[in-house]
Amino acid sequence: MADDSQRNFRSVYYEKVGFRGVEEKKSLEILLKDDRLDIEKLCTFSQRFPLPSVYRILVWKVLLGIIPPHHESHTLVMNYRREQYWDIHHALRIIRFINDSTPQVDVFLRMHQLESGKLPRNLAFPLEPEDEVFLAIAKAMEEMVEDPIECYWLVSCFVNQLNSKHKDSLQQLPKILEQYLNVEDNRLLMHLKACSAMSKLPYNLWFKKCFAGCLPESSLQRVWDKVISGSCKILVFVAVEILLTFKMKIIALNTAEKITQFLENESSGCTHGLCVDVGWGCEPDLELSFYG
Amino acid sequence: MAQQANVGELLSMLDSPILGVLEDITAAFKDNLICDRGPMLVNNLVDYYLETNSQQALHILSTLQEPHDKHLLDKINEYMGKAATRLPTLSLLGHVIRRQPSWKHKLSQAPLLLSLLKCLKTDTDVVVLTTGVLVLITMLPMIPQSGKQYLHDFFGIFGRLSAWCLQNSGHVAETYLVHLHASVYALFHRLYGMYPCNFVSFLRSHYSMKENLETFEEVVKPMMEHVRIHPELVTGSKDHELDPRRWKRLETHDVVIECAKISLDPAEASYEDGYYSVSRKLCTSLKHHQTDPSASHYIDTQSSYGTSTPYSTPRLTLSQMPGQLPQILSPQSMRLSTEPQQVTIWSPSAVCGMTTPPTSPGITPSESSQSASQPYSKAFSTSAGGKGTPLGTPATSPPPACISDDFVHVSLPSAAATPPKKEDKPDPGRPLLYRQQNVTNSEKSLDTPGSKSSVTLSDLPEFLGGLSFEDSAEKDREEDAISKEISEITTDAEHMVPRGGFDSPFYRSNESLSGSQKKTHSVVSSVQGHGLTSEPLTSSLDKPGPESARETPKQTFTPIDKPCGGSGESPAGNREGTSGETSILTPSPCKVPAQRRVGFGSGQPPLYEHLFEVALPKTAYLFVGKKTEELLKKAKGTQDEDCMSSTSPVEVLDRLIQQGADAHTKELSKLSLPSKSADWTHFGGSPPSDEIHTLRNQLLLLHNQLLYERFKRQQHALRNRRLLRKVIKATALEEHNAAMKDQLKLQEREIQAFKLSLQKEQARYHQFQEEHENIVAQLHSQIRQLQHDREEFYNQSQELQTKLEDCRNMIADLRLELKKANNKVCHTELLLSQVSQKLSNSESVQQQMEFLNRQLLVLGEVNELYLEQLQHKHTDTTKEVEMLHAAFRKELEKAKFCVQQQSQRLDASQKRIAELESQLAKKDHLFLEQKKYLEDIKIQARGQLQAVESRYKAQKRITQAFELEILDLFGRLEKSSLLKKLEEKTEAAEAAEERLDCGNEGCADTVAGYSEETIGRNGETKPPSTRGSSSSKGGSSSELSTPEKPQNQRFSSRWETSMLLEPSTTVPLTVGSLPSSKSFLGMKARELFRNKSESQCDEEGVTINSLSDTLKTELCKDPSMETKAPPSPDNLSLSPKIQESSVGQLHIMDYNETHHDHS
Repeated sequence: MADDSQRNFRSVYYEKVGFRGVEEKKSLEILLKDDRLDIEKLCTFSQRFPLPSVYRILVWKVLLGIIPPHHESHTLVMNYRREQYWDIHHALRIIRFINDSTPQVDVFLRMHQLESGKLPRNLAFPLEPEDEVFLAIAKAMEEMVEDPIECYWLVSCFVNQLNSKHKDSLQQLPKILEQYLNVEDNRLLMHLKACSAMSKLPYNLWFKKCFAGCLPESSLQRVWDKVISGSCKILVFVAVEILLTFKMKIIALNTAEKITQFLENESSGCTHGLCVDVGWGCEPDLELSFYG
Repeated sequence: MAQQANVGELLSMLDSPILGVLEDITAAFKDNLICDRGPMLVNNLVDYYLETNSQQALHILSTLQEPHDKHLLDKINEYMGKAATRLPTLSLLGHVIRRQPSWKHKLSQAPLLLSLLKCLKTDTDVVVLTTGVLVLITMLPMIPQSGKQYLHDFFGIFGRLSAWCLQNSGHVAETYLVHLHASVYALFHRLYGMYPCNFVSFLRSHYSMKENLETFEEVVKPMMEHVRIHPELVTGSKDHELDPRRWKRLETHDVVIECAKISLDPAEASYEDGYYSVSRKLCTSLKHHQTDPSASHYIDTQSSYGTSTPYSTPRLTLSQMPGQLPQILSPQSMRLSTEPQQVTIWSPSAVCGMTTPPTSPGITPSESSQSASQPYSKAFSTSAGGKGTPLGTPATSPPPACISDDFVHVSLPSAAATPPKKEDKPDPGRPLLYRQQNVTNSEKSLDTPGSKSSVTLSDLPEFLGGLSFEDSAEKDREEDAISKEISEITTDAEHMVPRGGFDSPFYRSNESLSGSQKKTHSVVSSVQGHGLTSEPLTSSLDKPGPESARETPKQTFTPIDKPCGGSGESPAGNREGTSGETSILTPSPCKVPAQRRVGFGSGQPPLYEHLFEVALPKTAYLFVGKKTEELLKKAKGTQDEDCMSSTSPVEVLDRLIQQGADAHTKELSKLSLPSKSADWTHFGGSPPSDEIHTLRNQLLLLHNQLLYERFKRQQHALRNRRLLRKVIKATALEEHNAAMKDQLKLQEREIQAFKLSLQKEQARYHQFQEEHENIVAQLHSQIRQLQHDREEFYNQSQELQTKLEDCRNMIADLRLELKKANNKVCHTELLLSQVSQKLSNSESVQQQMEFLNRQLLVLGEVNELYLEQLQHKHTDTTKEVEMLHAAFRKELEKAKFCVQQQSQRLDASQKRIAELESQLAKKDHLFLEQKKYLEDIKIQARGQLQAVESRYKAQKRITQAFELEILDLFGRLEKSSLLKKLEEKTEAAEAAEERLDCGNEGCADTVAGYSEETIGRNGETKPPSTRGSSSSKGGSSSELSTPEKPQNQRFSSRWETSMLLEPSTTVPLTVGSLPSSKSFLGMKARELFRNKSESQCDEEGVTINSLSDTLKTELCKDPSMETKAPPSPDNLSLSPKIQESSVGQLHIMDYNETHHDHS
């Protein structure tokens, strides 16, 4: 009772002051306490609030279907996953695709290829664009997750989800971006169009890799929370925010190449503050407008 | 040069007669000396002095200051070397040294000393020698420490001169020798006094030699008779006496006195401290020897006096003095006061002896008698007959007789005045006497006071004589000197000044010091008595002498002296100072000086003299007086001694001078000429030059001697001054003590008085206290009584109060009762009214009751009437109705029961229905739950299954990968073996096919499928054909490159094609270059092939195919049937035919099974 009253008492104040989602950890814990995890609730939760880092991996795994919603089967399933991982790993070792010195990301890539049956005949085969995407995401994920097995599963499921679930919507994203940019800042859009840079914006980096390697880890996690929970439009808002943040500099640039180059470079360098902004400032409103 | 001239001028003016000039000149000289440090002026002065013998020059030289001393000494030394100037130089040196300059310590280092010693050792002139020796003697105490290096020189000189005295080597005048002898005697004294050990050892060594023995016997031995054993001989050693520490504390005059102390010669000796008594004892003992009877007599008299005071007192006019003195003066003073009586007897003679030149009795008896009066003759007889005891005794015996005479003539006025006081005397005197005796007993051994007193008694006259003798001798000497020096340049005043000032008073005071230090107060006071008494006597006796015998200047002061003495005595003797009676008794030490002062009238009264008067308290006077007396005694003793023992050289010298003077006066009287010079001329021509020379020399020697004596006197004077100061201090302290004691006594008395008063006060206080206590007790009793009364009253009041309270209570009770009674009255009144009301009511009720009773009776009668009417009216119809009623009732009850039953059943069934419905609902719910749970489980299982599936897929992928790998490896193997065969038989077509296979991947899809079948057939016919292998290889390679889907598609498409073909049933034929499609082998082979080919890609139907194992044989028998059914490999619900085929395929895939079958 004391806890509840205290929580309520505080939450009232938090909400008054404008801090929403301070209590999300508690509510998430409550959500996670259900035996059969309600995946839809988890989805909405993670879309609405940033996940606490303690539960992020768990929620992701659940959302990505790596582990079932039943707590009982978690260990069993994870054991399966692990065995599968090691089997694949072992196989790859046997056929000498990987060895001890192979970078973890490459290992993941090979494993994913093997699993999806796209393992090239030879190591020397050049990487395809989707492999590049995989590598970027895997690299970002590797930094977030310690356990290689979990990491592998997350990466591979994440990529699978991107490829299966969001394949269509991803293709729509540039258009939506233009649309929102028009609403937000018409002038910038005009400028970009004048420079004919709209088509040359780093969509690959932004939408396919989901900003992996572009945003710092903490921001990326928040962005991915949304992506994993099923909303890939977040990517559009992040992109719009980036553009708005570097509006002045972009306007100063004239050619599409320069803009692209600048965005590729800059957004990888100094988007930390931006992302906090993106993650917190406008995103929820937009999101709400979206989902609401 | 100018300066020299100037100096010469100054020198010439030095002796100018004008006083002012003289002062100026001396001042100028002194200025010069201060300014000029050179030796010139000093040298000039010395020269001038030697030339002119100027007194001024001498004065200046003798007061030279430090820087010039060296020049002076050098100059003197220079002149010392010359025989001609030696004598004046020595005299100059003597003058200088006697002044005791500040640089005297330098003398020992100066070469002058050496030359002086040398001169003394070598010179033969007696005059020079005498002068030199005197200078040396003067010098010795000044350089006690530094002179020790010349010690042997001194001794040598002594030896030489002593020998000289005897041998008279040169034919020197005897008179010279006398002088020389005297100076040697002095040297002996000095050396013995200063360096006893060394000197004695020298004497021992020097006179042990035979040639010197005579000298010793004649000269030295007599000298030794005049000295006591020096204490240093006992305690000291040769080295010790040369120790600088010994001399450090001693000044020059100390040394001189030290030397004088060990002398027994009265002319030389000075008695101080411990030596005093010794020397005196010596004297007395000597005297006792010679004057036994007199001594005994004196003792007797003394003792008689001592014991019987009453006897002595009445006679004593003098005793009033002690009576007037404070009680401190012991009766001994009274007793001693008798002595003056004796003294008075003797005094005339002493005075006479004194006034007359102290010539040896033997020389001029007649002459003395001439000048002496009658008492003088007596005195003379004693002094002359000092040796002869019989003469002494008569002289002493007469006192009693003479006393009266003397007193009558001297102190008659006082005697007249005193008698009333005398009567008081014995009373205080007696106890005091006893006390004094006690004191003497306690303080000293009995012997000493006795002997002392005896000595004093016996010696007194002698002392007096001695004193007078000395005085007279000195006076004579003075006169001689005056007369002689008048002829010379020296002024008389110079001599007179010191003598008049210093001579007698200091001699006495000097002595008093030792006395004051040593003796107790009582003894001192007694001795004071001596002094007091003796002093005036001497003074008074002194007077007649000069009066009668002289017409010299002294006579002039005698008249003054008397009144002066009288007046001077009174203030000194008694503090009152009013009584002239005491004039005889109280001498003052300053009296004599006063006389002298008046007498000489040279206007140089020493400054301290009046201070003396003021400063010296009475006790000090007494001291001084006593000491003078002692001195007198001593002098007398020495006189006696002189007479009896060998005369000392000094005595001899004195006598010589005396003789000379006598002779001179005789001559003069004979000649009765105005002047000597005239004398000589008168006698005829000039006197013989030789004579003159000797006389001059004699004069010179005398002068020297005189100067030496003066020096000694100065030293004594110095010492006297110092001692006097101590005396003053001591006496002041004693006075202070006495005063303190007085105060103490007074305070004690006061304290006692206070104690008395305290006691009184205490007594009074006690009395008061008692009274107070009594009063207090009375008051207490009163209080008690009052308290008692008060208590009684209190009790009474309390009783009354209780009574009062009782009364009050009673009143209250009564009031209450009253109230109650009132209440009761009121109540009863009320009751009464009520009762009256009730009474009226009951009366009305009785009336009503009566009325009602009446009505009742009426009504009863009416009722009876009605009852009668009723009984008459009733009939029988009621029974039927009652029966009907009952029947209906029963029927109704039955129906009701039935209804009730029905309704109950209904309820039960309804309840049952509800129950069942609820159960149903429960069940439904349960079902739902179960469903949910199932769903849940399903989902869970699906999840797990998905994982497993994914795993399985992964496994499949893995195995695919492995197979690919294996195939690859096989391919490689075969390729390598094929390559070997190729070398043997190369077929272009095959090569082309191979190329075709490997060339395009894109078109390989359809071609591969086709070729596979052909390969399969070919492989069946000829398995090891390279073509088949190559094709399979190509297939595998194509499979590797192609992804899964296309493969599937390919297979499915093939299936589709095969399905399309099979219904037409022509397909196997088209396919078949098979050996025989319907033959078992062919069928088998085909199946095998198909299975083989299928097994590569189609595993989906594994589970399902395995279910239908049994059908495979049928399927194999009728492949057409198989083909008729159009199966879809992906569909699970396959038609049995297709299932068969698929099973068959599976079965065929299992090689072992097929082999079994074949075999």
